[in-house]
Amino acid sequence: MSNQKKRNFQIEAFKHRVVVDPKYAEKTWSVLEHAIHEIYNHNASGLSFEELYRNAYNMVLHKFGEKLYSGLVTTMTAHLKEISKSIEAAQGGLFLEELNRKWNDHNKALQMIRDILMYMDRTYIPNAHKTPVHELGLNLWRDNVIHSSKIQSRLLSMLLELVHKERTGEVIDRGLMRNIIKMLMDLGSSVYQEDFEKPFLEVSAEFYMGESQKFIECCDCGDYLKKAEIRLNEEIERVTHYLDVKSEVKITNVVEKEMIASHMMRLVHMENSGLVNMLLDDKYEDLGRMYNLFRRVPNGLPTIRDVMTSHLREIGKQLVTDAEKLKDPVEFVQRLLDEKDKYDNIISQAFCNDKTFQNALNSSFEYFINLNNRSPEFISLFVDDKLRKGLKGVSEEEVEIILDKVMMLFRYLQEKDVFEKYYKQHLAKRLLSGKTVSDDAERSLIVKLKTECGYQFTSKLEGMFTDMKTSQDTMQGFYASHLELTDGPTLVVQVLTTGSWPTQPSITCNLPAEMSALCEKFRSYYLGTHTGRRLSWQTNMGTADIKATFGKGQKHELNVSTYQMCVLMLFNNADRLSYKEIEQATGIPASDLKRCLQSMACVKGKNVLRKEPMSKDIGEEDALLVNDKFTSKFYKVKIGTVVAQKETEPEKLETRQRVEEDRKPQIEAAIVRIMKSRRVLDHNNIIAEVTKQLQSRFLANPTEIKKRIESLIERDFLERDNNDRKLYRYLA
Amino acid sequence: MPPRASKRKSAPPNSSSVTSSDGRSVSNKAKTKGMDKIDRLFNTYANSSLGMIDPEGIEALCSDLGVDYTDVRILMLAWKLKAEKQGYFTQDEWQTGLKALGVDSLTKLKKALPELEKEVEEPSNYEDFYIYAFQYCLTEEKQKSVDIESICELLNLVLGVQFRPQVDSLVEYLKVQNDYKVINADQWINFLRFCKEQISFPDLENYDATQAWPLILDNFVEWMREKQS
Repeated sequence: MSNQKKRNFQIEAFKHRVVVDPKYAEKTWSVLEHAIHEIYNHNASGLSFEELYRNAYNMVLHKFGEKLYSGLVTTMTAHLKEISKSIEAAQGGLFLEELNRKWNDHNKALQMIRDILMYMDRTYIPNAHKTPVHELGLNLWRDNVIHSSKIQSRLLSMLLELVHKERTGEVIDRGLMRNIIKMLMDLGSSVYQEDFEKPFLEVSAEFYMGESQKFIECCDCGDYLKKAEIRLNEEIERVTHYLDVKSEVKITNVVEKEMIASHMMRLVHMENSGLVNMLLDDKYEDLGRMYNLFRRVPNGLPTIRDVMTSHLREIGKQLVTDAEKLKDPVEFVQRLLDEKDKYDNIISQAFCNDKTFQNALNSSFEYFINLNNRSPEFISLFVDDKLRKGLKGVSEEEVEIILDKVMMLFRYLQEKDVFEKYYKQHLAKRLLSGKTVSDDAERSLIVKLKTECGYQFTSKLEGMFTDMKTSQDTMQGFYASHLELTDGPTLVVQVLTTGSWPTQPSITCNLPAEMSALCEKFRSYYLGTHTGRRLSWQTNMGTADIKATFGKGQKHELNVSTYQMCVLMLFNNADRLSYKEIEQATGIPASDLKRCLQSMACVKGKNVLRKEPMSKDIGEEDALLVNDKFTSKFYKVKIGTVVAQKETEPEKLETRQRVEEDRKPQIEAAIVRIMKSRRVLDHNNIIAEVTKQLQSRFLANPTEIKKRIESLIERDFLERDNNDRKLYRYLA
Repeated sequence: MPPRASKRKSAPPNSSSVTSSDGRSVSNKAKTKGMDKIDRLFNTYANSSLGMIDPEGIEALCSDLGVDYTDVRILMLAWKLKAEKQGYFTQDEWQTGLKALGVDSLTKLKKALPELEKEVEEPSNYEDFYIYAFQYCLTEEKQKSVDIESICELLNLVLGVQFRPQVDSLVEYLKVQNDYKVINADQWINFLRFCKEQISFPDLENYDATQAWPLILDNFVEWMREKQS
C-alpha cells in the first residue's frame, strides 16, 4: 500500500512577484495626466503613444482602473472649464467660430486620449459599468461647455439670429452653422432638440405668422402663394445645408401651418384674385401652385374642391335657367360642352388629374343639367344639328370626339327616356328628309348609345335605319317591275314600320291625280309581296321636287313638302284660288294648311304665291294666286322642309305627358319583378330597389312609385301585410 | 215527449241530440221554443215574398227599437248578424245573430244594444267591424270602391265618436280634393290605422310621408299642414 499521493504534473503560470509600489499608481497617473495636458495644449507630438498606452494598461492591470478613470474625469473637466471661459470671452460673431474651433480641438484630443486609454475602455469600463471614454468626452463637453450658463443661451440666440438674418435676405456662413449644428447632433438628439430644434421651430412659427399676416394684407392670392412657395423651398434648402434631415418635415409643417393653413379660407375667397377668379381666367400656373401647396395641409384639397363645386353649380345653374341662352338649343349645348372642356383642362393641367376633382366636376354637371327639364330635348337638337350640317367636312376622328363629348353630357341626364323620345323624333325627320351628313356618324352614335344603355334603348332606332334600307330595295323592285312608269313622275316611298317610328296621327290629304294613281300602283305592288300588312300614307311627312315655269318664263325647281305640292298643283288648273277652295280640294288640316301657305306666300325669296290681301297671316277669306314675278338667284329653290325644331309649349307638354304615361308600365313592371323574387318587402326598400332598377332610364319619383303600388294592390297583385303596415306581400 | 219538429230551414244538428242528460229534452224544447220566438220575430219584419227582411222591414225594426235607421248601432247589428247584403237580413243571418246575442224578443234585443256596442269597441273586434262597414257598402257585384259621399258618412258613423277631430278634417278634405272620386278597401283600412297610430293631431308632426301610407293620406297631411300655416 502506497501512502504517496499521486501528484499531477502542473505547470503553473509564471508569477511575477511584484511588490506594488504604493507610489506606483501615483507616478503612473501623473505621467498620463501630464500627457492629457500636453494634448490639450497642442503639444502631443512630443509624446510616446506606446509608453502612454503601456502606462494606462498597467494601471488597469494592477487594479487602478478606478483611479485612472476618475483622474481622467477630473482632468478633462478642468480643461473644459478653461475652454469654456475662453469661448465666453469671445466677442460677437467670433463666439461661434471660437466654439467651433475649440470643439474641433476637443474632438482631436478626445480621440488621442481614447486611443491611449483603449485598454481601460475595453476592460475596466464595461466591468465597472462606466461611460466609455469617447462618450464621456462628449458628455463632459456638453455639461461644461454647452450647458454652461454663460454659453447655453448665447449659443442659441446666435444660431437663431443667423437663421433670421438668412431669412431676411442676408448671406451667412453656412459652413460654420453646419458644424455647430452637427456638434449639437453629435452630443445627442435630445441636445439637438432641446438646445436648438424646439426653440428654432417656435421662433420660426412666430416669424412666419408675422410674415404671412404682412403678406396677406398686401398681396393678392396668386402673389401670396408664390411667396409661400418660395419660403417653403427656402426652408427645405436650409435643412439640406445645415440642419438635421429629420427637421425637414417639422419645419415644413410650421411653414404650412402658418402660411397656408391659417389663411386658407381667406386666400380661397379673396376678392378678385381668389380661387373663383383663377378658375374663370384659366390661371393654370396659379391653380397648380395652390393645389400643390394646399395638398400639404389638412383639409386643403377638400376646401379647393368644395369652392370649385359650388362655383360650378352656380354658373351651371345660371346657364340652364337663363332664358336668353335657352333660345338657341344648339348654342346652349355648345356652352355646356365648352364649360366641360374648360374644367377638364383645368383639372388635367393644374390639379394633376385628381380623381376626386373629376368626380366633383361630374356631380356638379349632373346637378345643374337636370335642373332644366328641357336638357334632354336640347341635347338631341344639338346632335340633330351636327348630324344635319355641323359635321360637314369634319374628319372622322373629329366626329368621334364630338360624339363622345355628347355622350358625356348624355350620361349626366337623369331622364334618359325623354332624350330617347326626342332623339327618335329628330332622327325620323333626318332620315325621311335625307338630310343626314354622314351615315357613319349616325351609326356610330347609335352604337355608343347601345353601349351606354343596352340593346333595348336602340333597337327601335336601328329598326328605323333598316326600314330606310329596305325601302330602297323595295323602290328598286317596284320600278324594275313597272318599266312603263320610268317616264312619269318619280316616286320614292319609304315604308316605315309602325312601332319603330315615332307615332304620328296620319291624316291623308288629297293628292293630285298624277300622284294618287302612282301611289295606288305602289300600294298594290307592295301588298302583293307583303300580304297581311296595312299601309297608310303619311302625307304630313313627305317632300316633293317640282319644276315650275313663271310669268316671264323663268324656270325653277322647287323643293317643297307634300302638302305644299298638293296646293301648288292646284294652280295648274286655276290662276286664283280662295283659301276655302284650297282647303276643300286638298283636305289638309287647317293649322298645317295655314303654315304651308304662309311659307309660300309670305316669306321673301320663297314667295312663289301671292296673297290678297298682303297681310302676314293667312285669313279664311284670303285668296291666293301664282306669283308670276317670282325671282330667285338659284335654280333650285327650297321652300319647305320638315326641320327639327324646338318644341312649342303645347307640344312640349304633350311629349312630357306621353313620357309620363310610358313610365307607368315600366315602374309597375319593376315593382312586380322585384316583389316576385323577394315575396315580402317593406316600403322603403321597394322604393330604393325600383329607383335603382330604373336609374338608367329615368329618375323614378317616389310618389309615382307609391301610386303604382296602390294600383297593383287594387288589382290584387300585391297586398299589405296584416300585422305590419309597412310590408308588402306578392300575391302569386 | 219527442221534440217538436222544428220550423228551421237549415238545421245544423245539435250536438246534444244523442247524449243523455236529464234536462235534455227540456233544454232542447227550450231551444226550439226560443227558435220559434226568433222566427216569429223574424216574420214580423220579413217581406214574405222575398223570405227576408228588406229595407222597409229594417226601418220598422228600427222604429220599434227606438233607434234611427242611420244609427251606428244598426250597422253593429248587421255586423253581429254577419249580414251580407246591405239593407237585408236573411233568416239564417237573423237566427244566428240573435242567438249569438242571446236574445229572442224585441225588448231583449233593445236591452242588448249597449252590450253590443261594448263588444264592437273591444280592440279585437273593432278592426273587423270597421272593415265590415266598408264591405257592407259594396252593393254591386264586383264593386271594389265606395264613392266619396258615402265614405264621408261612413267615417262619421263609424269613427266619429272615437276620433272626432281626425274625422272632421278628413271628411272636409275628401270633399274638397279632386284626385280620388272613390275610396278602395286599402285606403279605407289605412284611415283607421292613421287614427289609431296616434299621429299627433292636428299638427301631424310624427307623420312620415316616405312611409307606406297611401297617397291619399300623404295628400291629406299636406293639405292640413298648408291650412295651418
